[in-house]
Amino acid sequence: MIRGKKHTVAVFGLLLAAFALAACGGQPNTANNSTGATNQVTVYVSTDRVFSEPILRAYEQKTGVKVNAVYDTEETKSTGLANKLLAEKNNPQADVFWSNEPVRTLVLKSRGVLAPYQSANAEGIPAIFRDSENYWTGFSARIRVIVYNTKLVKPEEAPKSIYDLADPKWKDQIAIADPRFGSTSFHVAALYAELGDEKADEFFRRLKANGVKIVPGNSVVRDLVVKGEVKMGLTDTDDVNVALEDKQPVAMALPDRDGMGAPLMPNMVSLIAGAPHAEAGKRMIDYLLSAEVERALAQSEAVQIPLRAGVEGPQNIPPVNSFKPMTLDYGKAASRVEEVVKRLQPILGL
Amino acid sequence: MKNAAVARYQNHFQSPSPRAIALFLAAVMFIAICALPAISMFGVSLTGPDGGLSIDNYRRLLTERRQHQLLLNSVLLGAGASIFATMIGAPLGLLLARVHLRGKAWRRLALVVPLITPPYVLALAWTWMAGSFAYSLTGAIVVLGVSFYPLAMLAAEAAARRVDAGLEEAALLVAAPRRVFAKITLPLIAPAVAAAALVIFALAISEFGVPGLLRVNVFTTEVFTAFAALYDFGAATALSLPLLVATMMAAIAARLLIGEQMLTGRRGSRVGLSLNFGGWQAASVALSLAVIALCVVLPVGVIAREAGGIRLIASSIKESSDAIINSFALAGAGATLAVALAVFIGYWRARMRTRWGALVDLALIALFAVPGTVTGIGLIGLWNHADWRGEIYASPLIIVIAYVSRFAPVAALLLAASVRQIPVAFEEAAVIAGASWLRTFGRIVLPQMFAGISAAWVISFIFAIGEIGATALVAPPGESTLPVRVYTLVANTPASNLAALALAQVIIVFLPLALLALFVRRSEGAK
Repeated sequence: MIRGKKHTVAVFGLLLAAFALAACGGQPNTANNSTGATNQVTVYVSTDRVFSEPILRAYEQKTGVKVNAVYDTEETKSTGLANKLLAEKNNPQADVFWSNEPVRTLVLKSRGVLAPYQSANAEGIPAIFRDSENYWTGFSARIRVIVYNTKLVKPEEAPKSIYDLADPKWKDQIAIADPRFGSTSFHVAALYAELGDEKADEFFRRLKANGVKIVPGNSVVRDLVVKGEVKMGLTDTDDVNVALEDKQPVAMALPDRDGMGAPLMPNMVSLIAGAPHAEAGKRMIDYLLSAEVERALAQSEAVQIPLRAGVEGPQNIPPVNSFKPMTLDYGKAASRVEEVVKRLQPILGL
Repeated sequence: MKNAAVARYQNHFQSPSPRAIALFLAAVMFIAICALPAISMFGVSLTGPDGGLSIDNYRRLLTERRQHQLLLNSVLLGAGASIFATMIGAPLGLLLARVHLRGKAWRRLALVVPLITPPYVLALAWTWMAGSFAYSLTGAIVVLGVSFYPLAMLAAEAAARRVDAGLEEAALLVAAPRRVFAKITLPLIAPAVAAAALVIFALAISEFGVPGLLRVNVFTTEVFTAFAALYDFGAATALSLPLLVATMMAAIAARLLIGEQMLTGRRGSRVGLSLNFGGWQAASVALSLAVIALCVVLPVGVIAREAGGIRLIASSIKESSDAIINSFALAGAGATLAVALAVFIGYWRARMRTRWGALVDLALIALFAVPGTVTGIGLIGLWNHADWRGEIYASPLIIVIAYVSRFAPVAALLLAASVRQIPVAFEEAAVIAGASWLRTFGRIVLPQMFAGISAAWVISFIFAIGEIGATALVAPPGESTLPVRVYTLVANTPASNLAALALAQVIIVFLPLALLALFVRRSEGAK
């Protein structure tokens, strides 16, 4: 029994230690509980944390408003913020949703999670990147591009259109990210909107027949191209930029200059319906839509293309006027993404 | 005199007593925290688009051919991983218990490393080592088998140590050691090994990271797609039902095979039959070294190589210090609360005298197989309200609740097994001697459960510190846990940084556990 007593003491000691640890470890996070305070704002962000955190920190320093940020987790590995926002709809915790692509914003709009807000700073942004009902406003964009390995593909043979990816010449040499998730889901939705269902189905059937490799994410596409395991793939400008900065043998081709154009993929910012700090949320949206933020995102490694004229674009990325952006009705394209996913699953064997 | 004592004893178990009140409160808490999230999501899955009752989500399960293939894949993955893990783990456990080996503590520690490495990270290492072979059902079985064999090992070792030495000694009078080993020892440890195999099956079929990365279509990846690509909570929950059913079927099969003995054993005071005949010693040295080399050194080495050296690993630990502290605090609190609750549930289950006990076991194992994402969405629905629940939801406490919700059921299963080894006579004797139930529970039952409580705590802690599915959904603003940090950084981070973070996670979980294990050993040895 003496032995047992000693153990019991040990167990309770452990319990106490765990609680004490929990009490002090948990504290830094509890500061943002008090709802209603005006000097704070809660932002849910799906733009990569490495790029978005400095932007939000800068706002905190400039205004003294405390920014509570929740960053999204990698979309192909965990179910992230869009689901959290949907589940929280009855008692919203967030004021602002800053998305790195249009699909999730449009899903949230259709489910009644967002509220309209027309920011004065949206003025300089072209109308196609703004919701006619003001539920979202686009800013700084990425482009969906073809990345290829310059050691394996000469610039003159580099694909000029995404149709070239279905060319048997490149059989088994193409990679794309899983088209059900993230920015690739936007890309396929854009293609279905642009081409119509039949032609888009046909393109993906040919792509499948050409042995396309479907990998977990856009950064994996880039890595396979860098290593030369495939010759080319579809990915985002910021992913290619990481390899370019690293002096890897890759280049990007902006597809379909003579045809439908390359899809521009703006960030989108929205106010949450029933936001606990709605006014602070609106100020945050004004800030994110400022020229200052577009400039910062262009100059950072995010290499995002400013949508308003007069802001200098990033290095490594061709300026907006040098390629043809796909003309898209973002609302219409993104609203069908669930249907498109269900069509694509059997075609690509997902 | 005697009659009065008996009457008091009977009375003790019949009228509402401190015992009944304590167990009732524990059951209410358990249902509120562990069962309600899953039950509420089940309700969502039965709701049609118009808000009325609808079974469309379930009709799809039965009619679509895609679902049949998913079911086959899920079951093959679970059974394959379970068998593979048991084949590696059970012999190792037996050797650790019964063969004299030098440096046994260190060997055991090294062999446990795969269990504390997130399966996703192990899978990543195997894709770097095995290339395209890894991207297959077989690859996923191998990775999950390697991830979970330490569970089979620990269960087999614990069981082999518990076998009543008297039984083996009696048999040795009439039979050769080999025969005693085959006819007495093995059958006595079989139930514990089978129970571990069942837990591994449940873990393997509810794992998402590995089949997701290796592109094996199973129900967990389908649940994920329903959430992440289709934002359809009802369909996602319906798709997790086959996981629960498969797990319960496995539990029933295990029970039929090994009967009521399941999860029981007897504590022996002496170490039983040693396997020091023939080439056992050499064979066990070879086996343990081979497993350490193949399942521990090789993958960890590959990750370390990708991580680009100590400097990068050290710097990623430094940058993540807040997240690391949070992870320890939250997982520690979660494991502690889960075990505290599970002690009562396990006790209640073990002392049940009805046939319904089997149903409780099934419910516990089914709750354990609920995907983390489903639990997460369910928790948001239950806790995110504009009252006191909202205060908890907006604080890190919600992460602790998520851990309790996910891991108290498995802790309760483990602790029920531990309580069954304590003879009821001890409690009866204490009560007859006049002790209150609380005193009996605190002074007699809890001390005897020490080994079980430690094991349940360590296992809950390991699961909690790697949890991502529910944590990512419920985590409030601010720095949260290390896995969430890893997952929020990976999108554009090069593989090397990811590997460094993954290794950092392995190291920070391994070091304190190693210290704890060595400390416990030393304090035991000192007696």
